[in-house]
Amino acid sequence: MIRLHHIPFSRSFRILWLLEEMGLEADLKHYSITDGSLRASEFKAISPVGRVPALEIDGKTIFESGAIVEYLAETRPDHGLGRLAGDAERVPYLEWLGFAETQASILASLNMQHLFMGDPTPAAPVVLKLEAARLGATLKAMDRTLGERDWLLESGFSAADTMMGFNLFSAPYYVAMDRFANLAAYRARIEARPAYQRAREKDGKQEFYKKDFYAVPEG
Amino acid sequence: MQITLHHAHEARSFRVLWLLEEMGLDYELVVHNFFDKSLRKPEYLEINPAARVPALEIDGRIICESGAIVEYLCEIFPEKGLGRPAGDPERMEYLDMLHYAESIGQHGANLTQAHIVLYKPEMRSPTQMNLEARRLHKVLERMERMLGDGRDYLMASGFSGADCAVGFGVVLARKFTSFDALPNCAAYAARVEARPAYQRALPPVGGQRIYTQEFYEAADV
Repeated sequence: MIRLHHIPFSRSFRILWLLEEMGLEADLKHYSITDGSLRASEFKAISPVGRVPALEIDGKTIFESGAIVEYLAETRPDHGLGRLAGDAERVPYLEWLGFAETQASILASLNMQHLFMGDPTPAAPVVLKLEAARLGATLKAMDRTLGERDWLLESGFSAADTMMGFNLFSAPYYVAMDRFANLAAYRARIEARPAYQRAREKDGKQEFYKKDFYAVPEG
Repeated sequence: MQITLHHAHEARSFRVLWLLEEMGLDYELVVHNFFDKSLRKPEYLEINPAARVPALEIDGRIICESGAIVEYLCEIFPEKGLGRPAGDPERMEYLDMLHYAESIGQHGANLTQAHIVLYKPEMRSPTQMNLEARRLHKVLERMERMLGDGRDYLMASGFSGADCAVGFGVVLARKFTSFDALPNCAAYAARVEARPAYQRALPPVGGQRIYTQEFYEAADV
């Protein structure tokens, strides 16, 4: 039995999508950021610090999305979505997995400051501007790579692409995406994947963003 | 095998430097200035376009994500025994801890930015700094529980590359959040600091420091 603990539109979407790509059956437990379900004792028993994702698999529970992606790809190699030790693309595969988290940490910081500190946010405009610029720089680097190929790795779609499942769909709330034509095409390719579409159907309603774009307030 | 590490004292690249020392590998070390524009020079941007450390040059390749570097080095030098390769009974925990290092590290980076890089108080938000410090504490509570079974290091079987990734963040976290309620983490931090390889990786006397204070208190909100 595989069970994924999930919040719509969060990092756990990476796993939801990858499970669909691999055709793995999983029991899905939904949580909301607004109704206190993350603090309920039942979830505390699974995830003591109250974070998603949490994946129950092979008799254990694993928490970090990057680790889950690596573990799933490696223990179910038939699906060919990992680039395992010894593979010619092992280094870029690991590098993209790490880069996805570097980018996601900027998004997490922007989410925290724009969404969870009050309205209007008491965040420092200097910091918000810096983080948005940093996010833009990571998107530019991706855009450059995707000008040369369809997926992050030359050999084709991999689990590294599913790590972008949270990032690419949160970034437009903070950075104007119109200067990244290759990313727009990449996103369209993702959205055309049946596994991605099935994952979105199961994802649930996002409760993070109340508007389409969060500009840096005047400081 | 030719290995060159681009490093700034006390930055994330410390993880890799410490690991290289633990492994006893031969390498060339290039120390960059963290505060001036050194990392933005064209010759460094050729190596790492993101203008960050670490960057590891190894056999004609360049790797820039510290987690990827740690995982890769442990994998290609299995005789050093610091990885837990696929199929190892601790493999799941090992991967989880390698990535957990970033969960800790991102709060450390945000707090470093707020307290140190943004040197004027009006550039900062006390609300954000407090929240980051609380989140950092929360993330460490996972480790506190894990170490509760009496293990010395993250893997019950002993020291691993995951400790280099996580240990750096834990020692840094002590500068931003109180460890009074995290006795296991405090003992762990002291244990890693006592390792000879860790000490060899520290900045030399007179070397540039990012952190000059014992503790960085978040301002009252």
